[in-house]
Amino acid sequence: MTRPATATGADGTPLFELPPELAIDTDVARRVIAEFIRGQLRQAGFERAVVGLSGGIDSALVAYLVAEAIGPERLRCILMPAGSSAPASRADAETVVDAIGCASEVVEIGPLIDGFFGVGETAGASGPEGLAASPLRRGNFAARMRMAVLYDRSVTWGGLVVGTGNKTEALIGYTTLFGDSACAFNPIGDLYKSQLRQVAAAIGVPEVVIRKAPSADLWPGQTDEGEAGFTYPELDRLLFWRIDKRRSVEEVVALGFDPAFVARVDRMIATSEFKRQVPPIAKLGPRTAGVDYLYPRRRPGSARG
Amino acid sequence: MQPLRIALAQVAPRLGDLEANLARHHELLGEARAGQAGLVVFPELGLTGYQLQDLAAEVAMRLDDPRLSRLAAATVGLSAVVSFVEESGDHRLFIAAALLEDGEVRHVHRKVYLPTYGLFDERRFFSPGDVLRAVPSRLGVGVGLAVCEDFWHVSTPQVLALDGAQILINVSSSPGRDLATSSEVGLGTASSWRTLMRTYAQLTTSFVVFCNRVGVDESISFWGGSEVIGPGGGAVFSAPMFDEGLFIGEVDLADVRRERIALPLLRDERPELVSREWRRLIAERAGLAPDTTAEEGAEDGLDVAAEPGPGRPIGFGGVAGSTGPGATDSEPARPERARPGPARPERAKARPKMGAA
Repeated sequence: MTRPATATGADGTPLFELPPELAIDTDVARRVIAEFIRGQLRQAGFERAVVGLSGGIDSALVAYLVAEAIGPERLRCILMPAGSSAPASRADAETVVDAIGCASEVVEIGPLIDGFFGVGETAGASGPEGLAASPLRRGNFAARMRMAVLYDRSVTWGGLVVGTGNKTEALIGYTTLFGDSACAFNPIGDLYKSQLRQVAAAIGVPEVVIRKAPSADLWPGQTDEGEAGFTYPELDRLLFWRIDKRRSVEEVVALGFDPAFVARVDRMIATSEFKRQVPPIAKLGPRTAGVDYLYPRRRPGSARG
Repeated sequence: MQPLRIALAQVAPRLGDLEANLARHHELLGEARAGQAGLVVFPELGLTGYQLQDLAAEVAMRLDDPRLSRLAAATVGLSAVVSFVEESGDHRLFIAAALLEDGEVRHVHRKVYLPTYGLFDERRFFSPGDVLRAVPSRLGVGVGLAVCEDFWHVSTPQVLALDGAQILINVSSSPGRDLATSSEVGLGTASSWRTLMRTYAQLTTSFVVFCNRVGVDESISFWGGSEVIGPGGGAVFSAPMFDEGLFIGEVDLADVRRERIALPLLRDERPELVSREWRRLIAERAGLAPDTTAEEGAEDGLDVAAEPGPGRPIGFGGVAGSTGPGATDSEPARPERARPGPARPERAKARPKMGAA
């Protein structure tokens, strides 16, 4: 029951480059994810979901998966462009919304960012120095403003916020803590970029969204791969062998990976460990959450009434 | 022998919600009875859900719990296997599977192997059972119960079959993982289990009944795919992956006799030989006898020598300056053993040469 590993677009060319060891059975993936989404919502006492839609493949795929699991009428997509966002991003997000047939709204977050960092010569809440804030500070702030908007809409729409971060970016720490990584649950967080592309192709995410270069869209022309200096297929392959298959540095070098590339990625993984974990609590009492008070997140009585 | 109808209750338990799960069990027992099933099998921790952590103590039942008695009472004219957290008189918690028959708790198996690695953390919360026993049943044949990981240890089905089981029942909460396309059914876990079940059925010439749950606990999805395998190693019937429900199929228990006459593997088992070798292994691992596979110079009870012998490398892969075998990555790291060593001559002499029989 092996699935075709590569998908092709309308013109017959491959939609993306797929390293063979990262090929997955997309039917099983969709089945498991649909059960996961339904289970998370039911156990929390919710029937609806909120997804922040950027126009990129990750959030588009999550929107499709949620719609497949619970129906488009129970999904609300929030588009949150900032002044720096590419116009094509919004257009692509709208294409996704139209294709799914779900509710959506646009929340401009430019004013939130400008209100803090200031605009032109006018200082914002951050004070005069905020006018010179780096793109990184602005990008992180924007990610956290989007998180704040999503959690507000979680209340008004009555739905859980669904995470859209993938395994590749989580492992190298290419996320904003309490920003884009914040969510009630994440259906694609254990899929590498090369793997979620297969699911996206199978579920029908528009070709233009699958084909375009991944980008955090924090400034014009930014791409993940341009910023990092390596491509997703090679990064995914390395992560797969290092993490999932427990290969040592020496072993992956023997597989043909450049030692400098391996060292750099290893360092990115180690320095971002904190982003993947709940913050530690100083152990003082007899029973401490996460240490020796260990309950499932969802249990009898925990669902919203 | 009458054909036996087996109902696989592939349920999705509510985590920690004993009352809801009990109600579902009663409902499916009724459905199975209506479907003329003689044996109904529910999955591991079907009454409580799997990822319990500290909830385990809160949903535990003693064997005299009236809720368990009421469930047993619903099995008049029926055999059922149910699974729950059992609390012993001295307050240990076990993952238990009980055979309920004709209104009684006929047998309780306490999970013997508790996986505590990877995504599993069972030994933190549970105590392991110490008994593997086949039991007679109203089905007219012996039944052997096992829980999930018990079947990842090859001795479990073998002991149960030798003890008289003709139906081996494994109840599981197997978390699905590994979506690699190289897998037979799109899920690595499922492929592994299918291989195990067929192998055990063939090697024990017994029916193997596998009931695995579905649904989601926290991050983990359970894949179902419950099956009944015949004593020849072929699937008699299979439930779908991931679907909740009661799946009934029919088996001819006389297949066991046919298979065992044609293929008398159990007759030819050598439990006295295995037992002798195991006693030797136990003594060697405990340091009570010289270990025949230890490195030269290793103290009894250890299989690695603290001090390297002359002309042999330190550890695997060798170190700079070492010239012995295994000094480079491309050579096997294990040196030729110079036997007999000082601690071993008597043993080596006492052992018959390979093939001399």
